[in-house]
Amino acid sequence: MTGHAQKLEVSSLTVTGDGGRRLLCVDSLTIAAGSAVVVRGPSGAGKSTFLYALAGMIAPETGQIRWGETDIAPLPEPARAAFRRRNMGFVFQEHLVFEELSAPENAAIAALYSGRADRGRIRDRAAAELARLGLDGVGTRRSDTFSGGERQRIAVARALAGGPGIILADEPTASLDRDNADRLARDLVTLARTEGRTLIAVSHDPALHERADRLIDIVDGRLLEAADG
Amino acid sequence: MDEIYHALPNWAQDVLVTLGLLTPLLVVGLIVLRGFHVGPLLLGLLRRQVWISAVFTALIAVSVALGTGLIAQERGLRQGTARAADKFDLVIAAPGSEITAMLAAVYLQPSDLPLLDGATYAEIAAHPRVSLVAPLGFGDSWRDAPVVGTTAGFVDHLSEGLAAGRPFTAEDEAIAGARVALEIGDSFAPAHGVGDAAEHGAHGDFAYRVVGKMPMTGSPWDRALMVPIESVWSVHGLANGHGPDWDGDIGPPFSPAHFPGTPAALVRAESLGATYSLQAEFSTAQTMAFFPGSVLARLHALMGDIRQVMSVLAVITQVLVTAGVLAGLMMLTRLLARRLALLRALGAPRRFVFALTWSYAATLILTGAAIGLLLGIAASFAIAAAITARTDIVVAATLGWPEIHLVAGFVSLTGLLALLPAYLTMTRPVITDLRG
Amino acid sequence: MHRRRFLTLTTGLLGAPSVLRAAEDDTLKLRALYAKDGGFSDLARDLEGKGLTVEGYMAPPLKADSTFFVLTKIPMSVCPFCETEAEWPDDILAVYTRRVYKVAPFNRRINVSGTLSLGSYRDPDTGFLSLVRIEQARYSYA
Ligand SMILES: Nc1ncnc2c1ncn2[C@@H]1O[C@H](COP(=O)(O)OP(=O)(O)O)[C@@H](O)[C@H]1O
Ligand SMILES: [Mg+2]
Repeated sequence: MTGHAQKLEVSSLTVTGDGGRRLLCVDSLTIAAGSAVVVRGPSGAGKSTFLYALAGMIAPETGQIRWGETDIAPLPEPARAAFRRRNMGFVFQEHLVFEELSAPENAAIAALYSGRADRGRIRDRAAAELARLGLDGVGTRRSDTFSGGERQRIAVARALAGGPGIILADEPTASLDRDNADRLARDLVTLARTEGRTLIAVSHDPALHERADRLIDIVDGRLLEAADG
Repeated sequence: MDEIYHALPNWAQDVLVTLGLLTPLLVVGLIVLRGFHVGPLLLGLLRRQVWISAVFTALIAVSVALGTGLIAQERGLRQGTARAADKFDLVIAAPGSEITAMLAAVYLQPSDLPLLDGATYAEIAAHPRVSLVAPLGFGDSWRDAPVVGTTAGFVDHLSEGLAAGRPFTAEDEAIAGARVALEIGDSFAPAHGVGDAAEHGAHGDFAYRVVGKMPMTGSPWDRALMVPIESVWSVHGLANGHGPDWDGDIGPPFSPAHFPGTPAALVRAESLGATYSLQAEFSTAQTMAFFPGSVLARLHALMGDIRQVMSVLAVITQVLVTAGVLAGLMMLTRLLARRLALLRALGAPRRFVFALTWSYAATLILTGAAIGLLLGIAASFAIAAAITARTDIVVAATLGWPEIHLVAGFVSLTGLLALLPAYLTMTRPVITDLRG
Repeated sequence: MHRRRFLTLTTGLLGAPSVLRAAEDDTLKLRALYAKDGGFSDLARDLEGKGLTVEGYMAPPLKADSTFFVLTKIPMSVCPFCETEAEWPDDILAVYTRRVYKVAPFNRRINVSGTLSLGSYRDPDTGFLSLVRIEQARYSYA
């Protein structure tokens, strides 16, 4: 079930919010498979909305979102969730982990709702990713006993546990201190690159900008290619 | 189908009904949880919401306890009162209220009964199909123990053999019930009347000596003192039931002319048919013959009707409480909305979130119902003990199939109701909840 | 349904007077179980140990909350004229129910189903003797 890096093609995408407000408008965008892209922009510009649309968490009003051969825009919600489950790992701005569960349980959360055949693989990979992120041997401590940086690394391990070809991250370093942010930025990009995953991260963190293959700016829901892309 | 069911032993029928009632829950549970492993998140949820979960569970438990306690208690009362009346096949008294006569004769409740005269008593005693007849003369007491004048034959019938000592053979001898605070060899002076109205010393310095002790019968007779009927008549200054040519042996036969009367007579017939025909024969203008069992059965039916009404109220309470809990659950899932949205954002199927919230509700319902069942039994134990202490009727509280059926039905019904809040959480917008 | 008719037919051929049968299905009248001399009828002997349904009236119970009652052919009434002592106890049937039963009004006709048992038996609880019994019984209103 390990997904492989996938090319992204977006065309005539519009996302409308409550009250008919236009939140996002993308005429055309192509991201090569296996590249690391960072999205920037002022607060409220529509960066999260963009990422959620790419992940299929919101249904766009018009347009196409083609990951490899699959256009997820017209799919119904359960199919989009299934696509996400198989092909994507998502890291949120805040370290959203289940506090009562241990680090391995959190990282392998997908095992709880995946087919019996995949469970063992998810658990093994979650353990391996935790080890790679320096969180092996933490035992069964509840996750709320971990620091913010550690929790965000648990979240990264969780995003990678399914072996996804696509990693989406929404301001993953925003709630971390400098050292932890640097470390996470380095880890994210390395982990994406070593196995040839496509990484799209929303971030203001220069540590991530430096490592990106390409920078995209969003202003008022419209994409602008950055000069140094 | 019907015939197969009726061919089964009782326990198998009860098990089958229980399973039948649980089937909807089991089927729904299997379908909802199929392919998922909700355990760790469910435990996390319970731990995170431990207080709310505890309160919800307690509410369900108390409402279930109300329903099950009621059923267990009513059954205990029925069995206890029936057992206490076991030895009283047929009672003959002067016409009046059967219930009053039963309460007096079987349960020794103080009451003012008119008397059967000597001629009537002799007619009963002489009847060829009567195998035992005994007068029951109430009215005196010692402390809170009623003193009942009767015959040694009745004591033998009631006790099926004394626990200790021997039957009374003289007017100043007495047999004590198992729970009377008198031992063999102790003496006591009877008071005229019962309770606060008892006149002490009204019977001069007459005193009885205890010569025998009854075994436990689980009835108010455990608290009674049984004395020769002759002595009761004598201390009241009446003839003692025997004529001038009396040989001095107490007990039957009595002389009709010297028989001052008895408020009630216990009659035992030689056969089943005889019992019914004696009842018919002695239902006359001068006598009232009745089966305490029938009177009790009528009271039980009344009690059953009242219990049924109260059961309906208890069931309504249960359903209302559960509806309240499920409504609370919906609010609770709003608190949990972010976590549920996170799961869905990570790619968990909607059905998984549905399964998680449903299993949370089902856990509260099952735990509450189980605790409620135990609580109901515990409560009826306490009430049974209080009733036994007050009336000396041994009321046993046990866990019976009707309670289990009630709880199984409740669990299934509310388990199905819990699908609704689970469904509602499933349809919430992911991103709105995720943004918090 | 067919089986039932077949049963009725065969027992009819075997000589049980069909007048003793209730209008429909195989509910028996109480007196079908007794012979004129007070003993068991041939039908009763045939049915011993088998399931049957008998109609009659529940006599007022001697005990509350019990599994025993007496089935009578006519209501065990409060009518002192229609019951003579001589009729007792030949037309009564001892019924042992499988569960504690609910008392039926003495004037409601009931159908009692259970297993027929013949021979004298002394109930250890009541001490009473019975000759014909229906055991494992349940009843329904006719
Ligand atoms: N469902 C919605 N309906 C209307 N407006 C929304 C909705 N969701 C987000 N918005 C608005 O859309 C804009 C873009 O939001 P967002 O994508 O979160 O911005 P960013 O992540 O760039 O800070 C914001 O102004 C936000 O308030
Ligand atoms: Mg944002």
